[in-house]
Amino acid sequence: MAEVKVINGNMAAAIGARLCRPDIIAAYPITPQTPIVEYLADFVTGGLLDSSVSEVESELSAMSVVTGASLAGSRVFTATASQGLSLMYEPYFRASTLRLPVVMAVANREMISPQTLWGGPQDSLTVRDAGWLQIYVEDNQEILDTLIMAYRIAEDKNVLLPINVCFDGFYLSHMSERVEIPEQAQVDDFLPKYVPEHIILDPSRPMAVDPLTNGYLLTEYRLKHMLAQQNALKLLESLDGEFKERFGRNYGGAVEEYLCEDADYILVTMGSMTGVSKDCVDAAREAGKKIGLLKIRMVRPFPSDRVAAVLKGRKAYGVIDRNVSFGWNTGIIYEEICASMNRAGQFVPNIPFIAGLGGEDITAAHIDYAIDEIINHAADAVKNATVWLNREDKGKEDTK
Amino acid sequence: MNVIDKLAIYEDQISPGISACVGCNVELTLRTCMKVLGPDTIFAIPPGCMGGVGVVGWDKKSGAKTPVFFPLLDNVASMLAGIKLHYEHIGRHVNVVAFAGDGASVDAGMQCLSGAAERGDKLIYICYDNEGYMNTGYQRSGSTTKGAWTSTTPVINGKGGKKQNKKDFPMIMAMHDLPYMATMSPAYIPDMVRKLEKAMAVESGLVYLHVYNPCLTGWGCTSDESIEACRLSVETNFAPLYEVENGSFQMSVDVKNPKPVREFIRKFKKFRHLTDEDIDALQELTDRKIDRLRKLCTL
Repeated sequence: MAEVKVINGNMAAAIGARLCRPDIIAAYPITPQTPIVEYLADFVTGGLLDSSVSEVESELSAMSVVTGASLAGSRVFTATASQGLSLMYEPYFRASTLRLPVVMAVANREMISPQTLWGGPQDSLTVRDAGWLQIYVEDNQEILDTLIMAYRIAEDKNVLLPINVCFDGFYLSHMSERVEIPEQAQVDDFLPKYVPEHIILDPSRPMAVDPLTNGYLLTEYRLKHMLAQQNALKLLESLDGEFKERFGRNYGGAVEEYLCEDADYILVTMGSMTGVSKDCVDAAREAGKKIGLLKIRMVRPFPSDRVAAVLKGRKAYGVIDRNVSFGWNTGIIYEEICASMNRAGQFVPNIPFIAGLGGEDITAAHIDYAIDEIINHAADAVKNATVWLNREDKGKEDTK
Repeated sequence: MNVIDKLAIYEDQISPGISACVGCNVELTLRTCMKVLGPDTIFAIPPGCMGGVGVVGWDKKSGAKTPVFFPLLDNVASMLAGIKLHYEHIGRHVNVVAFAGDGASVDAGMQCLSGAAERGDKLIYICYDNEGYMNTGYQRSGSTTKGAWTSTTPVINGKGGKKQNKKDFPMIMAMHDLPYMATMSPAYIPDMVRKLEKAMAVESGLVYLHVYNPCLTGWGCTSDESIEACRLSVETNFAPLYEVENGSFQMSVDVKNPKPVREFIRKFKKFRHLTDEDIDALQELTDRKIDRLRKLCTL
């Protein structure tokens, strides 16, 4: 039987990683991810986890140690946030282009400046084009479950790519809630042992890894890398059912559709804001407003076909981003959705929202306001005029 | 078995035909190190001369015969630490070795190297110090000697050159309290072989080996003077050979009557513009440092 505990998001991430039995762990503490490093150290010292841990001097080394260990054949785990992820960028990009199935939890934190340490996915969204897979989750149970799925996806022979499991700092990392912890045997059944068959550094199979490579071959690498990302998307979709059978929970695959079936209007969310948003959608439904919610889980690759299929033919939709896309005057997910709709040859009136930057609260009042805007004003909204929910004037004065 | 026999018998782990400059003493250093380390070795060649000349090659026609990898310039020691951790985790012995230039060790990779040294990651880290970014056209590094011409410290109308002293990196690494730290020179092959064997016998912790490799192309010196230049660096005490075992310093080659530093300096175009005063200052610095080293050897 699964054990039920009340734990914070960092503990859920640490237990999720523990259940996957990584051989090598390297992580450097950074707020709000720090407790993950401490919990894992406790597990190893206390004999609950048979991993070798490198107490690295920086995130650059954390990413580099797991890269080296993965290249030699280990299952690896690391975790970071914000500035730490930035410091990792050089080996981060390379882990994906080397096709190493590294699993990394990200306790999402806003990027400086100005100096900040509160939650928000600006950190990992900014590096979304570095070739990793990225999944964003809503609550602590989903952190734990998605980490287990993440190893299965990353190590699949048709994928072989690193993956980020991202959750909002503080809102999840430091918030405690009920989490079911599966039995070790259940996870072992779901997740086979990792046996590398592509590149490896081993004197019994000598090979030169990553010599200077011409553009025509690099083109092949890029093409296959992107196909592998698409394979990961398909796998996440198909694993949803298998996970439900084995563990009793599922999340909808690449996106979750909530009350979408008969909805005229759709609110698009991601991460921890989704919980309060679902409550607001419920309340709006009771008031006779036909709105549904689309939660984005996978950002890389972006599930564009499924997103467009959900949004097409609706009266209007709105997207709440807890991040910005510099240069577009909107959030990043909004732009991803515009691209998806354009590719599908669809246009639906819409409104971009930005809320919760620097860890600001996204309240039920903000969501209610957004829902009413979508229903009442999407058709006449100025194209791409972002509504800044945390500002009194909703940003109208400065951005017109 | 003596050193000559060993080097005759041991298999060359680097294939023939890598494209190093004619007379390159780094190639000799690499071949010697890899012969002694043997086939049960994984090594990393970060961007730099030995990467540029094709040591990270496709197969046995070009490059290395043991597993080899191109790490990033700044993460050599951590990447290797991960590899070593894997082999320790599965209980299998493999030599895990860096062969990195001074740019990847003294400058960009210093943080990772210092971290690995402090943690005691069981690596053999060999730095070939040719005093700058020689592979990309002779730019200065933190290991360039004061006064030297480089492409980023140009000399125009007799003025210019590097303004700062060279970082004393072997000493910095020795102060990490390593189980073993040594300086080596391709002009002293028996000494090099002995030190490599000692490095391989170390049971825990990081071993740092620093090789002073005057660069013929970048410093301006002819191929037939390659080994002579290396020998002069030792005979002038400019790059003394010593080793530090668990904190205990020892001279490996005790130069009783050192030649003037001028004899070494005058070998290279990159120092041609130096005035007598400049060279006197380098002599003074050399004397001061060898005095300090000798004192450390008495402790």
